[in-house]
Order: sequence, then structure tokens, then C-alpha cells
Amino acid sequence: MGNLELIVEKHTEKIHRGLEMLSTMRHGVPEGLGNKRWTGELILATYEQALTGDIPENGLEYKTGNSGGGFDVLDWKSHDGSAKVDEDRVDLSIPLNRRRDGKKIEIPLPIYGGGMSFGSISLNFMIARARAARKLGTYTSTGEGGYPDQIVPYRDHVITQVATGMFGVREETIQYAPIVEFKYAQGAKPGLGGHLLADKVTSEVAKMRESSMFTSLYSPFPFHSVYSVEDHKKHVDWIKTVNPRALISVKVSTPTDVDMVAIGSYYAGANIIHIDGGYGGTGAAPEIAKKNIAMPIEYAIPKVHDYLVSEGVRDNITLMASGGIRTADDVAKAIALGADGCVVGTAEAVAVGCTHCGNCERGRGCQIGITTTDPELSQFIDPDWGEKRIVNLFNAWSKRLRIILASFGLETIHDLRGRKDLLVRYM
Amino acid sequence: MQKTGYRRFKIESKPAPHVYPIPNKFDVSARKIRLAAMLAHEAFEYRFNKEVVLSRPCIYGVFGGRFGGFKPLKHKCVGCMRCVQEYPHIMTVKQSDSYKRLGDSFWTPENVFAVLNEASTGKIPVKGMGYKGAFSGEGFDGMWTDMSEIVRPTRDGVYGREYISTGVDIGRKPMSIDFVRIDDRPKTLEIPVPIIFDELPNGTENADVRVAVGLAAEKIGTFRIARDIRFGEPGLDNLLPIIDEGGIADYGEEQPEIVEFDAERPDLLKKLLARFDRSILIGRLPFKEDSGSIACELARQGVDGLHLYADYHGHDYSKDARHVSSALRDVHQQLVREELRDQVTIIASGGIALAEHVPKAIICGADLVAIDTTVLVALQAEFQGETRDRANCRLMSRRINPEWGAQRLVNLIGVWHDQLIEILSAMGMRDVRRLRGDTGRSMLDSELREQSFGAIPWAT
Repeated sequence: MGNLELIVEKHTEKIHRGLEMLSTMRHGVPEGLGNKRWTGELILATYEQALTGDIPENGLEYKTGNSGGGFDVLDWKSHDGSAKVDEDRVDLSIPLNRRRDGKKIEIPLPIYGGGMSFGSISLNFMIARARAARKLGTYTSTGEGGYPDQIVPYRDHVITQVATGMFGVREETIQYAPIVEFKYAQGAKPGLGGHLLADKVTSEVAKMRESSMFTSLYSPFPFHSVYSVEDHKKHVDWIKTVNPRALISVKVSTPTDVDMVAIGSYYAGANIIHIDGGYGGTGAAPEIAKKNIAMPIEYAIPKVHDYLVSEGVRDNITLMASGGIRTADDVAKAIALGADGCVVGTAEAVAVGCTHCGNCERGRGCQIGITTTDPELSQFIDPDWGEKRIVNLFNAWSKRLRIILASFGLETIHDLRGRKDLLVRYM
Repeated sequence: MQKTGYRRFKIESKPAPHVYPIPNKFDVSARKIRLAAMLAHEAFEYRFNKEVVLSRPCIYGVFGGRFGGFKPLKHKCVGCMRCVQEYPHIMTVKQSDSYKRLGDSFWTPENVFAVLNEASTGKIPVKGMGYKGAFSGEGFDGMWTDMSEIVRPTRDGVYGREYISTGVDIGRKPMSIDFVRIDDRPKTLEIPVPIIFDELPNGTENADVRVAVGLAAEKIGTFRIARDIRFGEPGLDNLLPIIDEGGIADYGEEQPEIVEFDAERPDLLKKLLARFDRSILIGRLPFKEDSGSIACELARQGVDGLHLYADYHGHDYSKDARHVSSALRDVHQQLVREELRDQVTIIASGGIALAEHVPKAIICGADLVAIDTTVLVALQAEFQGETRDRANCRLMSRRINPEWGAQRLVNLIGVWHDQLIEILSAMGMRDVRRLRGDTGRSMLDSELREQSFGAIPWAT
């Protein structure tokens, strides 16, 4: 074994062991870890769930962050704490196609993985996510960076994203897909398109995206062929022509008229409307966009849900929410506000060691191999190890969801949808 | 090739690194005995393979100094925490005390660093991962700007093809066509960005800072406000002087293009109107409970613009102080109701500290903003306490090279301009003038909370 391999092996082992040690709290919560949204405790609690597959029992706060608003000021209505139905019998599955026609797809938990593109994340992390999705019976999304060959074995669990840059969108990648996702906008940088910084455009990434090496890649905004619902319908028809079996998901951000956008998407033929709130994750985005443009997901969900109900189409479309979903409680609160399920990205990254430090775009990228294309750093994420941790995290979340549902006497996750009356607020 | 004379507006930034040291954001330290023990342990574990044993858990070079982890290079730390993840029993990383002490109760360390880095690099701050801060907050922090999902008249704002105008007019716009005076120029001046430099706080305006601000205003093509005119200094064409009775005489027979005056003195306005009938007169007055009525009265009397100022923390001078965003909305809406809005320009200042405050102030009703303490922060002034108002400033300017200072301010305005374009681009707007008072382009936390959470009972 050469020195480079030994060095990678050494640090991989240290990182993995360190993650296990940190969540034991033997050394407390590291002072510099976390922020208001992802507190140090929440990060450690996520490490713990990714390690054990269980709800933390060491006193770590695993339900909320400390942002002072949104999910963090919502709680569950008090109840006696006892389970009113058998937790094991609680059904967490949701259908992704609620229309009469088309393939029926159901996922066993109300969660699938959000788009994170090859180039913004390492191939190993991408494989880990795809394997976890297969194991859990759910999905993960390619993001807009193309469809690496190594992902093809998991294609029954991979959503192909068609975004404005059209990077890696080919006939076969559409034909692979059980679900095709149009990304109109992204919560972290709504209305601004995508941006992959030059350092990450390695030869592999450039080849996949058919671009020049080490040149920044911008995805324009919006789709330059879509300026109306009718144009969008033509896009849907294009995908349906290439792959008639695919379900269509439409990912949009959360402007004032997000409810109108949702209904337009429904009438254009979408099976899933995926709303991505302003505080969502990204590989790189202007700070001004993350904080200031478009509304947080907590406010957008009821707006869309209520409007779809009033239009009489709520039960014909699946509403997925993303953009700041950090915990099982966030998932349950999103559903109580009106979503069918949630799309998760950052929490999966935290499961494999992300500290939410925000240096993804800097130099070689993520120091522990998540959001990087650096060949050495990428090796820190072993796909088998990553798969286990993501599966464990969602198993722990499923347990927590079952506890919440059972405590209110609800037998299915669908019964929680729109049940604002089960929530209380502090602000 | 034939020259067309066309030049697309662009603010040229170039690096202007900090000349005074800034605090390290992070404090990295190792428990030295444990570190020594770990090195000894790894030496045996990796059979004294020096390259492997000494390979460090940092890709930013924090342990790349001669003494490795025993004397970390703290200035290189970006807070990634990998060293803590690998060696939680040895390493500690936390925000440094000197970083946490930066600023005052309004200027947070994050905001000070944002301005320092913008002035230094002239680049839009771009980072990975999602937003990390509080869900919302007071004033501008409780407001989100809208975006357009599909239908957009423009695209690729900062990087692209279609021009987004950030130009604004200062002065009174003609309300109708007057055929008798059809050859007269309207009493307006256009500047390319909706940002001007306000008069600096008392005691902070040393000669170098003054020259730097003048040069920057000249390079950008915007205004700087100052009380006295010093002939021979740069940027005189970009000066917006504040004048009183004494200053009127200095102009002799001439009329300045634009002047500011203390609008709380009605006698002064009469004299100015009589003497400077062709000048753009901007009344300077504090935001108070009755600012809306005063603004309407001044507009009727012939004032062409209002410079409404809040304190440096963005609060008005009402008995129950409000944030400048609320005060501004009130004044704007009253002028609209009384059909006077286009007869006056509103310049808002006080608490404009970040790029996002510019579009948000404009949404609340300003035509443009003036920045004050932000200028000093960009020029690496030193915080020595709370700086809330002009008379009691504890933000001390330092000796600087005026050329360096000018470039820092050009960088700052350049990067704010680019961020303004990002916001306009997301909305699909091609002209910042259209954003003025368009509160429908914003979403308020207080309103959304009631719409979305209103049915949820309060916790008991």
C-alpha cells in the first residue's frame, strides 16, 4: 500500500471513529459546531441516529433547531404520552402518483432524497445515497449534473432531474427514470439558476456535463423554453414521449404566488409538486439569496395545500416539501401543515459527517469528502458506510414518526396531513 | 473599429486587501500532552512512516506550520471542524473572542466581516450549504423578497445579456407637459446606483477618509454628502452639499445643481426657494411619528427631495422607536395617498448596513439610500463602543491611503450593485425604479405567520 492510500485510510478511520465518539457526548458539544438552524446538538443527534438507527437516548436535542421561527416555534399538542395505537402498525407509506392514470408508485416512508448533482457532491456520496434509497425502497435524485454510469445499477430508485442547464440530460437517462423531476428553481437561490464553481469542474465532471474543465458552469434561469403553463405542458409531453411510464415531478421555489404555480403544474400534468423553501441547501449560492429571496417552506406548505384543497384537486397530486427539513419532527410538522411528504438533502450529508460549515465551494471542496470532486477527499466516504448511515438515519426518523402518530391515535401518515390542530405555536 | 461611444455601466472592482489586521474568526487549539501522546502512538502504529504520521487533519493548512498542531496557524482556519471530528479528545475549535467582540449591538461580527470582505474583494459572497441564521428578525430581517417562477422579462442578470438598470433620478419629476416651458430641463439628476454616501458622523471624517469618499463617488458616478466644500479636493462634481444661511452667500450669482438643507427650519426653505429656484432642493429631516405629514407639506412647498434619516441602528426618532422599514412605508404611503409621491425623491439612511437592505428599503418606499457607518466599517474603522447617532460616534476612523480607501468603497458599492441585480433578476425586473414602494414584491414574516400559522393554537 502506498503512502497516499495509507493517508486516506488513516483519515477515513479517524473521521469515522471521531463521529462515533462525538455523539457519545463524552467531550460535550464542540463549541464551534453548528449554527442557529443546525445547532451543535442537532448535528450530534443526527450522527447518533446515523450510527445506531435509533432515537438518541443520551439527552441530545434531536427534534428542533434554534432559529426562533418556523418549525422551531411549533410543537405538538400535549397528550398523555401513551401510544393510542400500536406503533408497529402505523403506516408511513405515501403514494407518489395520485392520478387515476399512470404507474402507481408508493414509498414506505414519506421521504425521498433531494437533487444533489455529480460535481457538487462526490461520486461516492452519490452512490451511498442511491444505495440507501434502494435499501429503503425510496428514491434519490441525480440533481442536474448528469447520470454517472456507477448510478445505473440503482436506476429503479433514481429520479432523473431535468434542470435549466440540461447537463447530462439524455434520452437514456430519461428512459431509466421511474420519476423525472423538472427543476424550475431551487430554494437556496430562487430565480438565479445554478452555479458550479470552476474548481469543481474536473475532467470527469466536465465530461459528464459536456463542458470545459475548470470553468464555472451556470445554469440559466428560467427554462428558456418555458414562459407559461402551456410551455411547461409541452415539456411534460416531451418527457412522456420519451418515457411514457415516468411520473412527473415539478420542483419550484416559494414565491408569493407559489399556490398558483402549484395549480398550474397540476393542470400541466404533474404527479408531484415539489416546493423548495428559501432556507434550503446548496453546493454554492450567493448569501444574499439564501437569506432573503422567497419564503420559508413552513409558510409555503399551508398556502399550497389550502389552495389545492379549495380547487378540489388536492387528492390528485402529491405535495412534497423541502428546504430546511432537518429532523423527523420537521417532517411530521410539514405533513401536519399540509404536505404529503418531504424531500431531504442536507440531513443525509450530516449523517455522513457534514458539520454545516458552508465551505463546500471553497478550494478542494468538502474536507470530509461529501461536496467535493477531489479524488483524495472523495475517498473518505465509503459508499457502504455511507449507505448504512443514511439508512440508519431514516430508520430512526421512521421510529420517531411512528411515535408521534401513535400518540395521537393516527394509523397512517396520511391521517396527519393538514392536521394543524395537532400543533401548538410559541410565536 | 469605429467607436460607438456606448459603455455598459459596470463598477470595476479590484482587490484592496485589509491593511489593518482583522481578528481570526476561529480559535483552534490542541491539548498539547494529548497531542504529543497521539503522535507517539501514531508513530508506532504507522511504523515511523513520517509522511503518514505527520499527515494533518486539515486541508486549509492550519497545521502546516513548523510546529504543526502545537502552534496552529489560526488565521487559516475556516471552522470546518474536521480536526475536531478526527481528534475530539485533542482539538478544540470555537469562534475567537476577538471576533465575537467585533461591532456593537447593531453591527454583528457577521455583518462586519461581510462588509470587510466585500470591500476587500469586490466579490459577491458565495458559500455552500443553506442559510445558517435566525428564521427572521426585526425590520429588514423580517422581510423576504419575491421571485418570479416562470414569467420573466429578463434573465442571467449579473452574468448575462439583458441590461438591468439600477439608475435612479433625484429631484422633482414633471407631472404634466408644460408647453410654455417645454425647453426647460426637468429638475432631476440621474445616478447609476441607488446608493449615495451620507455625511460621516461627527469627528470621524479625517482628510484621508474624506478624499477616499470623494474619489469613490467620482469613480462610481454617485453623490457624497458633506457640510463644507473644500475646493481642490477630488469629487467636487459629485458633492451634495448641506447648506445653511451662511452657505447661500458662497454661491454668489450661481445656483448649485443640488443641495441638502435642514428641513426642520421653515425659514431656511423660504430663503432657498427664493435664491435657488433652479436647484434641486433636498430637505434633510429625521424619521418621526409625523414624518409623513411633514413630507407632504414640504412637497407642496416646493421641496424636490427628502432625505429621511434614522439613527445608525435603523430606528426612527419617534417616542416608540420603529424600524426604518416601517417608518419609510408610512411616509411613502402618505405621499402616494396625497398624490405627491412623484414630486419628491426619498433618500433613506440609518441602518443600511448590508447589500440586502438596499432593495428592501426601496421596496418600503425609498428611491435610494445613503450609507454612513458602513463607509467607516469598509475603511476598517475601529469599534470602540456603541455608535447610535452622529453626535456620539465610537467608530473611529484610521489613517488610510485615500486611493486604497476609494477602491474599498468602489468594491463595496460594486458588490452591492451586483447583489441588487441578483434580487431584481430573481423578480424578473429590469429597472430598479419599478421596485420603489412595490410592497407586493416582498413578504413579511408577521403577515405570513398569521396566514399560515394563524389557525394553530398558542402553546400554554
